[in-house]
Amino acid sequence: MIFRLVSIIFIGAGLWACSSVNTLIVHSDPVKMDNEHVSNVHIESMIMPYRDSLSLEMNEIIANSQTDFSVKRPNSNLGNWVADALFVNQTKAVRLSSPIICLLNTGGIRSTINKGQVTIGDMFKLMPFDNEIVWVELPVSVIPEIEEYLKKSGGEPISNCTLKNGKLVFNNWNENASTFWVITSDYLMNGGDKMAFFSKKINVNNTGVLMRDALITEARVQTVLQEDTTIRISF
Amino acid sequence: MKRREFVQNTFLVTGGLLIAGSTFAQNEKKKVPKLTILHTNDTHSNIDPFPSNHAKFPNMGGVSKRFELIQKIREEEEHVLVLDSGDIFQGTPYFNKFGGVLEMKLMTAMGYDAATMGNHDFDGGMDGFLKAQKFADFPFLCANYDFSNTILKDQTQSNLIIKKGKIKVGIFGIGLELNGLVPKDKYGETIYLDPIETANEQAAILKKKGCDLIICLSHLGFEYDSDKISDRVLAQKTKNIHLILGGHTHTFLEKPVEENNLDGQIVLINQVGWGGLQLGRLEFEFDNAIFAKKDVIIVK
Repeated sequence: MIFRLVSIIFIGAGLWACSSVNTLIVHSDPVKMDNEHVSNVHIESMIMPYRDSLSLEMNEIIANSQTDFSVKRPNSNLGNWVADALFVNQTKAVRLSSPIICLLNTGGIRSTINKGQVTIGDMFKLMPFDNEIVWVELPVSVIPEIEEYLKKSGGEPISNCTLKNGKLVFNNWNENASTFWVITSDYLMNGGDKMAFFSKKINVNNTGVLMRDALITEARVQTVLQEDTTIRISF
Repeated sequence: MKRREFVQNTFLVTGGLLIAGSTFAQNEKKKVPKLTILHTNDTHSNIDPFPSNHAKFPNMGGVSKRFELIQKIREEEEHVLVLDSGDIFQGTPYFNKFGGVLEMKLMTAMGYDAATMGNHDFDGGMDGFLKAQKFADFPFLCANYDFSNTILKDQTQSNLIIKKGKIKVGIFGIGLELNGLVPKDKYGETIYLDPIETANEQAAILKKKGCDLIICLSHLGFEYDSDKISDRVLAQKTKNIHLILGGHTHTFLEKPVEENNLDGQIVLINQVGWGGLQLGRLEFEFDNAIFAKKDVIIVK
């Protein structure tokens, strides 16, 4: 018994000397950064000049919202709003002859729009990336790939079309069409989020318009953000 | 010769008794060596608290409050490490307008010890990152991005060893595949190295250098439905890593998740959501009173 105790201690001392083996007891205590916490004067003074310069621009009110808009797969009021706003922004001055849809990515919508006043700053939070709107012409043969992508990803924001039972239905289909146009972001067209079907593009129309700027324009036009909760995607 | 062995053994046994004795005494007073690890991930330029009308997180977060909290913890705890797992940039106009400079200044003020790069830290291009990084006086750890042919050459490092009291902590950084996630012109000639191979190499190096605790700052993401590389997969397919502090998937974990590594040892994985809504706090107690052949991690 005594021998055993001594040998345990012996091994212990040996390992300790190597300082390679430990028992780690870990306590985890994540701290929620809520109102219980106070701010710090030094840090506030560091932020202040930046904040002041931003707030002039960002606090401008551009619209109102009567509901909370948030994004989720496969359908959401915010996904619908963003896709519709970009689609309207791009097509209001155009007579559509070819089939055309808007296809975005859920991951590109980075924030909510909250009930109440909507500011320029909200639009920066929603769409922080400096991505531009592009028009991409694709052959109709890639439609099954888009359907497959939407099924696999669980849904992305779309406008002027629906995905019914896994099949893409255009709002302005043309029986003779061999190609169609997609309004999307340069990020997605260039292979972002693995939308590989964009590599089969036939034509590209670079608008040079930032997606965020188009959303700001449409929010101003709407005055009160128009909510659409229709189910656009079903598998 | 025999006499020498005897003397040696006696010395070690006595040493063992002395150490064991003092350790047990320490335990009674709860004075085992302790390390406090504070960590964030995916803060995404959230410098101010979330607005009061925010749908999910009204008034939460904010760097000023985080600074105050870190200061308070530093007053209470002797050995504190502050780490970040990437995606510091992008998410508020502070980034669009000032390119990440303020984020770097504030993390420096909060005393961050190290960070790794997330995919969004490339959003201003590598030149944009470099401009902002001038204001950071902590290292960026990127072991599996080979920047040799880019302007970020020698601007980041693979790993870092920090001594906190008797505890030697080894930290390295692992990033995710940029192709398909970040436009090519933003990461240029960066070569992506296999995360599992690199992590095993780094952990072996740090172990050889005598680190007591080996931490991987990862931006791979917590887990995926597919077999895509994630923190869980990384933990299973490597050895010598004790703790993975993750990011990218914005996962809120109430407590660290345990995985078994290649040697059957426990690896802890933690992640604290995003936006600076939480500050991760892990207390590691290095209890020398209990020994095993393998490192034992007990989560309480």
